[in-house]
Parts: sequence; structure tokens; C-alpha cells
Amino acid sequence: MAQMNPVLYGKAIQYQLEQIVTPVPVYASFNRNFATQPKFITWNLRNVHQPVYTGIYQGVKGIDTPTFQISIFTQLIEDGFTISNLILQSLHGYSGLLGGSPNQVYVSKADVQWLYNSYDNTDKLAQIFLDCTIDVPT
Amino acid sequence: MALPAKILAGFSATLYAQPSATPTPLTVANLSVYASVSALAISGNLVPVEAIPAFGQDDAMASFSVAGSRQSDKIPTQSAPTSMTITAAWNPSDTVLLLLRGDAYNGMIDRTFVISATDGTGIVNYAFNGRVSEWQIDSQPNAEAKVTFTIHPRGNQYGWTAST
Repeated sequence: MAQMNPVLYGKAIQYQLEQIVTPVPVYASFNRNFATQPKFITWNLRNVHQPVYTGIYQGVKGIDTPTFQISIFTQLIEDGFTISNLILQSLHGYSGLLGGSPNQVYVSKADVQWLYNSYDNTDKLAQIFLDCTIDVPT
Repeated sequence: MALPAKILAGFSATLYAQPSATPTPLTVANLSVYASVSALAISGNLVPVEAIPAFGQDDAMASFSVAGSRQSDKIPTQSAPTSMTITAAWNPSDTVLLLLRGDAYNGMIDRTFVISATDGTGIVNYAFNGRVSEWQIDSQPNAEAKVTFTIHPRGNQYGWTAST
């Protein structure tokens, strides 16, 4: 099967996270808006990979299982936990359309792992990190 | 071109299956004819397997011992072709996988299979006739769904060829 374009993953992730946590703003990678925004989330895509199988044909590959990290930044610790719960309830175990037309991919399953929370005392910034792995049949 | 004088990567091996729901397998003579075999080794006949399992011959021998003798003896006897248990990522609309699924349900269809190994320029083909059995779809949640099936090669129906 053909490798899915990671641009589409990015657009779909951006779209879907915005839908889940609205009106909290969502950014790709880090954004130093924490000075003016009391809560926002960022995401980073990684591990875009289909296993490659034997033979001379490029199309002989398995399913793509990319992971995107979701970083939640809030001034209040409890706000971060509330937002992380929104994401857990919406994404964990989800099967179906990720994103929205035309920025969408179909996922067989989404698996969210809540990694850890932290607090930056200097910046007064609470942080929560989650990993979401999606199975994308292509 | 002579046989590639190189060590080939395992990743270079490709499995092909003869098309048609009711194929006429190659004759034993044609299994050793490059033109006959390479005609089957085309992209449309590709079996999208994860890896090519071991193929060849099983061991078969009889052992004899004589009371009082220090050593016994092992006598090679008729050995059967090795059955190949193959795993492929399961695409439910892959035409070749559907063909092999039909073979497994039928159980009586002889089909020619070709394993092609390449060094990038030269090709070595191992062609054999076999039947498909044990068709199982494995949907474990931690990976893509896979289909596992076994090809039982028919005895003495194989041939080696190389690109020339």
C-alpha cells in the first residue's frame, strides 16, 4: 500500500484536536503564547512508519501507526487535567474519521497514553503530555 | 547472465502465484524453463507476503543399529518438500490473496508458485507446484491484521532457473 502523506496526518490532527478542546487554541509544536494565553495545546507528529516487507515491490508494506504527542499547557494545573480528560474521552479507543474534510484520514483505532504532568515554577506553567498512536489503513 | 555471484539479501525475495481460479500448473519440465517461470513473475501475480519462509526439502532418514556395534547408520530416504507457512498483511480486497483463499477452501487446486531472489540485476527463480491449506486470519490488536497460510509443495514438482 502507498505511504500516506504526513501533511495529511498533520492537518487531520490539527483539525481533530481543535474540535475536541475548543475554544482552547491548538498549535503545531511549541508556541510561546503562554504569556498571554492561560491554556493552549500543541502537538508533534513522530514515528510515521509502515513496516516494509520482502520483495522488489514498494507497495508491499503494512499498516501505518504514527504517534503524535499532545502537550497541554495551562496556568492552572486543574485546567490541564480537565483538558487532558477531554482528549482521553474523545480520542482513546476512537475508530473512524480523524480530522474533517478535506483534512482527514480514517483511523482503525486511536490509542492514547497519558504520559505525565509537570509544572514549571518559573513560568507558572502547568504541563501535561499525552501520546496518541493511530492505526491508519492505507 | 550467469547466476549472481553475490550473497543475496533476504529482503530481495518475492513470491508470485499463478493467476486464475482454475490454473493449469507448469509441467515439471517447464518449471526449469526461465521463460515459462518468468512469465508468472510479474507484479499482477505478486503475493504480498511479509517474508519468505524456509523452502526446500524436509529431512527423511532411517537409522539402523546393530547390537554390539559402536556406531549406527543413518540412511537417507524419500524426503518430502518443506511446507511453507507464510504470513501476509491482510488486505481483504487483494486479488491474489483472494485467489489463494479460494484454493484453501477448495483444497484440490494445484498452482505454480515462484520465489524470485535478485541482487538488483540478476534473478534466481525457484518454481514449484503446490496447494494452499490452513488459511487463517489473525487480528491481534497490537498490529495489522495478518493472514497466515501454508503452501504444501507437490513432491518432485520444482525447478530452478536464472535470468540469462
